[in-house]
Amino acid sequence: MTPLSARRAPAAAAACSHCGQPVPLALVRPADDTQFCCAGCRQVYTLVREWGFDQYYRLVGQQQGALEPATVTGRSFEDFDDARVQTPATEDLGGDRRRTRLYLEGVHCAACVWLVEKLPAVLSGVDEVRLNYGSAVAEINWRPAHTRLSTIGRALDRLGYTPHVHQAARVQDARRSEDRAGLARLGVATACAMNLMFVSGALYAGEYSGMASPYEAFFRWLSLVVALPVIFFSATPFFQTAIAGLRAGIVHIDLPIAIALAVASAASAWNTLTGTGPLWFDSLAMLVAALLGARQLQRSAQRAALERADSLRGVAFLEFARRVDGTGTDATVVEVPLSALVPGDVVEVRSGELVPVDGVVLSGRSALDNAVLTGETAPLAVTDGDGVNAGATNLGARLLVRVNATGAQTRVGALLAIVQEALSRKPSLLQTTDVMARRFVQVLLVVAAATVGIGWTQFGPEVAMTRVVALLVVSCPCALGLAVPLAMSVALMRAARAGIFVKNPDALERLRHVSTVLLDKTGTITEGRASVVRWQGEDAALQYARALEAESSHRVARAFQAAPGRGLYAVPTVHTVVEVPGRGISGRVDDHEVRVGTAFHVDAGRVPETFATASSAMVAEGLSPVFVAVDGRLAGVAGIGDELRVDSRATVAALVARGIRVRILSGDHPDVVRRVGAALGLAADDAIGGLTPEDKRDAVAALVAGRDGDGAVVMVGDGVNDAAALALADVGIAVQGGMGATIVAADIVLTREGLRPLLEILDGARRLRGVIRRNIAFSLVYNIGASSLALAGIVGPLLAAVLMPVSSLTVVLSSALTRTFARPGRAGARSSAAEA
Amino acid sequence: METIFVLLPLALLIAAIAVGFFIWAATSGQFDDLETPAVRILFDDEEVAPRAGEPASLRASAGAAASTRRVLR
Repeated sequence: MTPLSARRAPAAAAACSHCGQPVPLALVRPADDTQFCCAGCRQVYTLVREWGFDQYYRLVGQQQGALEPATVTGRSFEDFDDARVQTPATEDLGGDRRRTRLYLEGVHCAACVWLVEKLPAVLSGVDEVRLNYGSAVAEINWRPAHTRLSTIGRALDRLGYTPHVHQAARVQDARRSEDRAGLARLGVATACAMNLMFVSGALYAGEYSGMASPYEAFFRWLSLVVALPVIFFSATPFFQTAIAGLRAGIVHIDLPIAIALAVASAASAWNTLTGTGPLWFDSLAMLVAALLGARQLQRSAQRAALERADSLRGVAFLEFARRVDGTGTDATVVEVPLSALVPGDVVEVRSGELVPVDGVVLSGRSALDNAVLTGETAPLAVTDGDGVNAGATNLGARLLVRVNATGAQTRVGALLAIVQEALSRKPSLLQTTDVMARRFVQVLLVVAAATVGIGWTQFGPEVAMTRVVALLVVSCPCALGLAVPLAMSVALMRAARAGIFVKNPDALERLRHVSTVLLDKTGTITEGRASVVRWQGEDAALQYARALEAESSHRVARAFQAAPGRGLYAVPTVHTVVEVPGRGISGRVDDHEVRVGTAFHVDAGRVPETFATASSAMVAEGLSPVFVAVDGRLAGVAGIGDELRVDSRATVAALVARGIRVRILSGDHPDVVRRVGAALGLAADDAIGGLTPEDKRDAVAALVAGRDGDGAVVMVGDGVNDAAALALADVGIAVQGGMGATIVAADIVLTREGLRPLLEILDGARRLRGVIRRNIAFSLVYNIGASSLALAGIVGPLLAAVLMPVSSLTVVLSSALTRTFARPGRAGARSSAAEA
Repeated sequence: METIFVLLPLALLIAAIAVGFFIWAATSGQFDDLETPAVRILFDDEEVAPRAGEPASLRASAGAAASTRRVLR
């Protein structure tokens, strides 16, 4: 018996004409010029040619990396025409023109931008399409009098981009206008700071070499004028947050910054008016520019993760239903938004689709995959009168379902409501710098009071005021304000390049000390889909079985397609295929009679000893054996199951070695979960199965409430059933391929396969803490040093203007030079080497 | 040297105009998407002769769905 996972698919006989992926042997048509790996690619290719967009394929040829096979849903998108669906993403441009934002699945390369933006050429009523490549959101300008949004939706769908009305468009708008305002503030502050340097440079030079008084007065007034936009426009966020913090009784890092800015500008303005005393305008402008720059950087580093979450928040997990109106032969099926359904309606659920509502099967006989809801891998058979839940996937034949509940009233709707609630209540972590800011302000006020008191009695009021102003200006914790955002933005950008998107930067701080890591099983530890894990028998028989199963869409058939093959054989031709539900499939492959299925179905007489042993070994391993007979002779047995991800074992071992308790929380059968736990080397107590999503949520909530000290509870998952648990855990991590709901709920989203990134997150978070600590140390040393000099009366505006950028530069360098997260190149190279 | 009283404000005025343009560019969203324009410019303006009008596959959505199912089976 050989494990197949280490092997690789054979060099294909043909590459798909659309996506370039290898075409499954059974689908190769030697007589044709074009070859397709799937129905989706065939449809898209035909339409692209029909529309005369052949240039797309030349553009694709210039791109690097493999494309993915196209998905065409074949939906009618009639629900897009419903005002309730359209409005949140649509602006009325006046004069019968609208702009609607759609999020497109399947945007993979620059050529997609070309293809999507060519839509106006073929659809009348579409004026312009702009596709944002990074966020895959298309802005479509269209005229309702000439076309419908459903037509546009169908066109995009048939081109292989499944469209979704962008429900979070308003959230994105708010974020965008914040970004724009921030950029404008930063630009003004930087321009003014640069010009102030020239003006101040002249003044400093004048102090040494002498300067005629009219010129000096002119330059002083000039610097006041140039500083005004900085104080009243660029610096407003600092004053606003400081005041808002004070109102709420919180000392924010912006408070000492705001104090310094206010004192420096007031004193400098007064000195300009009176014509004597030092000016601090250049230092304060530099400081504002540096702080705004660091914050803008952090925002843009976080943007990728947030935009992705925004788009997916828009992609409701369940968007539409096919409502059946009328009965008998008059019945029509129309796609409607879920909000248009009322209990008692009848909806159609086609094979491969999600059940959109909670309800009862009216007619039909099928199997449902509840994996995303419950984590169970075994399909559940349903027939007339059985209850079904929204979110399950229909694996078998068409079902008609009578609606009992929709939206928030469904079980999955209630779960998602918990996610929203938990997210809104998740306490935002008090940043280390904010904790320090409180101390800082207290000390500063005491020292300032002492300076005024002592200075007044010793040297008189004038000297006392000059010194206290110098103290307040130079003690501005500029470097402290930079310490966290800079280190964080560098870390976030590095992490994103390594396929780790951090939505909530607090999560990195919470990972300081991790006590427990909770793992979901299906789709997290395992691949989440059935594949041929073991094969005992002749290689040719496996090829025949694969060719035969390519004709079916059954779960077992997909498992065979996912199996990497061995060697390359002549392309088999398949005909007279018969499928027996619950038993297996049979047909002629080349000139052989091939039967695949249960031992009873393949009907090959007595099972030989070797296959009997192999089969029982597979059962013991938790796999389902499937027999293959060729020409009435048993030729092999395949073990079908949900395989562990390649790196699960090593990752769990590494976590345990770090003293972290690893537990599995799964909705799958307890026996299966225990077996997976044993394979990972976990104790039976730590592999808990049979949990409902509510159980998982409660388990996480109990652990979070009962944790000792600061040991964080980390939850890792991929399904809707994990979403509530992810939101409630200290840190929720959604693995690659997770559902939209988990990505919304999680703090960190992985876009790289496997569990290994977990270790990288822990290491990266540790290094990030090191950088932050070092940055804070630098800035404190600077602050204490500068404050002592100010007290001694040594610091003037020139020294401050030199010291401030130097301290900031130290922090910038310290942040930029540390490798918090490894470059993807190394990790990526390793994994692709393993594949090859 | 008196010329500085004119030249410096003039220089600052020009700088202010540049900053004004930057604010206009930032607030009108020209820096929102820094990625797509970079790839868009690579497309040559090859003459595409699109056949306007919706193909039958778009209008008869049920037919398209049916053909999808046929191919899958």
